[in-house]
Amino acid sequence: MAETVMKQSASRPWTDPNAEPFIRIKNVTKRFGDFVAVDNVSLDIYKKELFCLLGGSGCGKSTLLRMMAGFEDITSGTIEIDGQDQSGVPPYQRPTNMMFQSYALFPHMTVERNIGYGLRRDGVDRAETERRVVEMIELVQLGQFAKRKPHQLSGGQRQRVALARSLIKRPKLLLLDEPLGALDKKLREETQFELMNIQEALGITFVVVTHDQEEAMTLSSRIGVMTAGEIVQVGEPHEIYEYPNSKFVAEFIGSVNMFEGRVIEDAEDHVRIHSDEMGGEIYVSHGVSCAPNQKLWYAVRPEKVRLSRIRPDSNVNVARGKVDEIAYMGNLTLYRVLLDSGKQVRLTKSNLERVDHDAIAWEEEVFVSWGDGAGVVVTS
Amino acid sequence: MSAATRTANMIERVPPLRWTAGLLARLGFSGRGLVIAVPTVWLLVFFLIPFFVVAKISLSEAVIARPPYLPLFEWGEEGQLLITLNFGNYQFLLEDALYYLAYLNSIKIALISTVFTLLIGYPMAFYIARSSESRRNILLLLVVLPFWTSFLLRVYAWIGFFKANGVINNFLMSTGIISEPLVMLQTDFAVYVGIVYSYLPFMILPLYTNLVKLDGALLEAASDLGAKPIVTFFTVVLPLSIPGIVAGSMLVLIPAIGEFVIPALLGGPDTLMIGRVLWDEFFLNRDWPVASAVAIAMLIVLVIPIMLLRNAQGATEERA
Repeated sequence: MAETVMKQSASRPWTDPNAEPFIRIKNVTKRFGDFVAVDNVSLDIYKKELFCLLGGSGCGKSTLLRMMAGFEDITSGTIEIDGQDQSGVPPYQRPTNMMFQSYALFPHMTVERNIGYGLRRDGVDRAETERRVVEMIELVQLGQFAKRKPHQLSGGQRQRVALARSLIKRPKLLLLDEPLGALDKKLREETQFELMNIQEALGITFVVVTHDQEEAMTLSSRIGVMTAGEIVQVGEPHEIYEYPNSKFVAEFIGSVNMFEGRVIEDAEDHVRIHSDEMGGEIYVSHGVSCAPNQKLWYAVRPEKVRLSRIRPDSNVNVARGKVDEIAYMGNLTLYRVLLDSGKQVRLTKSNLERVDHDAIAWEEEVFVSWGDGAGVVVTS
Repeated sequence: MSAATRTANMIERVPPLRWTAGLLARLGFSGRGLVIAVPTVWLLVFFLIPFFVVAKISLSEAVIARPPYLPLFEWGEEGQLLITLNFGNYQFLLEDALYYLAYLNSIKIALISTVFTLLIGYPMAFYIARSSESRRNILLLLVVLPFWTSFLLRVYAWIGFFKANGVINNFLMSTGIISEPLVMLQTDFAVYVGIVYSYLPFMILPLYTNLVKLDGALLEAASDLGAKPIVTFFTVVLPLSIPGIVAGSMLVLIPAIGEFVIPALLGGPDTLMIGRVLWDEFFLNRDWPVASAVAIAMLIVLVIPIMLLRNAQGATEERA
C-alpha cells in the first residue's frame, strides 16, 4: 500500500507538496499595447511531464509558449526553467526547443541537414552530429527520406522531421505548438501515441499548446485550461473532465447539460438543489461549499444520463420530456430530449446490439435520470 | 461564374463581337493565340528586325555617303545576287586594343557597381520586408520616388555635388576638414556613385519581393536551434534569397555594362566604357559598320553569361 502511494507520487509529482517544480511560471503578464494576452499567470510544471495548454484561439496559450521559448518579452513576472531565470536570455541560449505549428522546416536543406542544424550550431563535431542525426532519423522512422527536401515530403513526414529537429539537442524542455494540427484525423491519432512513446523514452519535459480537447485528453499528464489570458483550471485529464471547477471548463471540455438552480438543503454529506430549468429537485451525494439558497449550476455529461419510458423509482434527479431528435453515430446514439420545462437535454447511449427493435423513437414521452454522483456542482 | 465564362457570354451576346470571333476562329486563331500575338509582334518589330538591320550594317563597308555604308546585297550585271560580307569590322575590334579594353573596363565597372548596389540594397530590402505592412508601402514608395524625376536630371544633380565648388567640397572646406577642393567629378569614383545611385531601386525591388516571402517562423526556428542572428542570416536568409540576389544583380549588371549617360556626364576622358565608344563611333567617326559591330559584340558579351546563368538556375530548380 505504502509502495503504491510512493509510486503514485513519483509519477505524479504535482500531488507531492514537497516536489520541486522544473518550470516555474510566476505572475507572468504579457501586454501588446492595451491588449492583455496573458494575465498574471502562475504555473508549476514538473520534470518529465507532458503538460497541455488548452484553450480557444486568442486565449493566450501560444503567447505563453512563445515566452517560454524566448520569442516574446515578458511584460512582468518571471519564467524559471530548471532553477534558472530566463529573463533576458535570447532563444538561442535557452535550454528549450520548439516544434512550430507550421513546422518551419528550412526549405533549402535536406531532411538530414534540417535535423542536424541545431547540432552544427553548437559546434558538435561531424562524426558525432552524423551519428545523432542517424539515430534521430531512426527514431522518427524517416530512413529512406534522409536526402529529400521538405517539399518532397507529406504532411506527416514533415511533422516527424520537425519533431526530430527539435529533439536532437536533447532540450530540457520541448515546446510544441499545435503539433498535430495539420494532420488528418487518422494520422493524428497514430502520431499522438508515437509522441507519448517518444516523450517517455527520452524523458524530456513537453509543453504542448492545443485547441483540440481530445488531443489534450489523450496526450497529457496534466492540462491547463486557458481563457482570456488566464489559466482557469489545472488538473489531470479526468479531473478536468469529471470535476470542472467552473461553467466555462465544463462546457469547454466535452459536452454537458447545465441546470441552473438554488440550494434548498445543504448538509455535510449531501446537497439538494431545486432547479426550475430541470423542473424538479437534484440530489448530490457529496458536500458542496455553498450558502443556503445560493444560485449555482449542476453539470451532467450526456453519457451519464439514462433514458427510459417508465418513470424511475425516485423523485430526485428525474425529469420528463419528449424525444426531439435522434442522431445515430455508429458507436453511440445521441438523443435530444425536450423537457417539460422547455430545457433541452443531450444524452448518449452505447449501441450494444446491432439492431435494437425496442429503440426509443421520435416524439416518444420519456424520462431522463441520473445517479447521485453523476454530475458536478459549479458555482461560477 | 469565372471571369473567362463571363467574357465568353458577353462575346456571345454582342453581334459584332460574335461575328468577329467566328471569323477569327474560322481563320484558325484561338483567343489564347491572339493574346500572345500582341507581344510577339511587338518584339518582332521593335527588337528582332532592328537587330538584323544592325547586324547587316556591321557586315558592310563604310563609305562617305548617305547612308554611310555600302549595301550588302547587290544585283550583278547578269541579274545574279552578289553578297559582299565584310568581316573586317569585327577583325578591327580585335586588333584595336581600345575596344576590348572598353569591354573589359565596362564589365569591371558594372561588376563592382553591382556588388556595391547589392551591399547597400540588401539591408534596405530586408528592412522593408520586415517592416509592418503600412510602413512597407511608404518605404517602397520612397524607393521608386526618384523615378518621378528624369533620369538625366538626377545624374546631372550629382555634378552639383561633385564639382570643385560643389556641395561636398564646400561643406568639407567650410568645416576645415580639407583646404583644397577634392577632385571627384570626371573620375571613376563619380561613375560608380552614379551607377549605384541610379540602379539601386532595380536591386531593392526584386530582393524585396523575395525577402517578403521569407517565413518569419524560419528565423525563429534557427534562433531556437541555437543560431545567433548573424548565423541565422548566413545559414537561412542568404541561401533562401539567392533568386532575388540573382534577379537584382542581373537588372543592375546588364544595363550598367552598356551605360552611356553616367560615364558621359560624371566620368573623365579616361573612363573607358563601351557605351561611350559606341556613341563616338556612330556620331563622331560616323563609322556605322564598326559601331554596329561594337553593338553586336556587346550583345553577345551580355547574352552569353545570361544564358549560362539561366541554364544553371534551371538546373538547380529541377534538382530542388
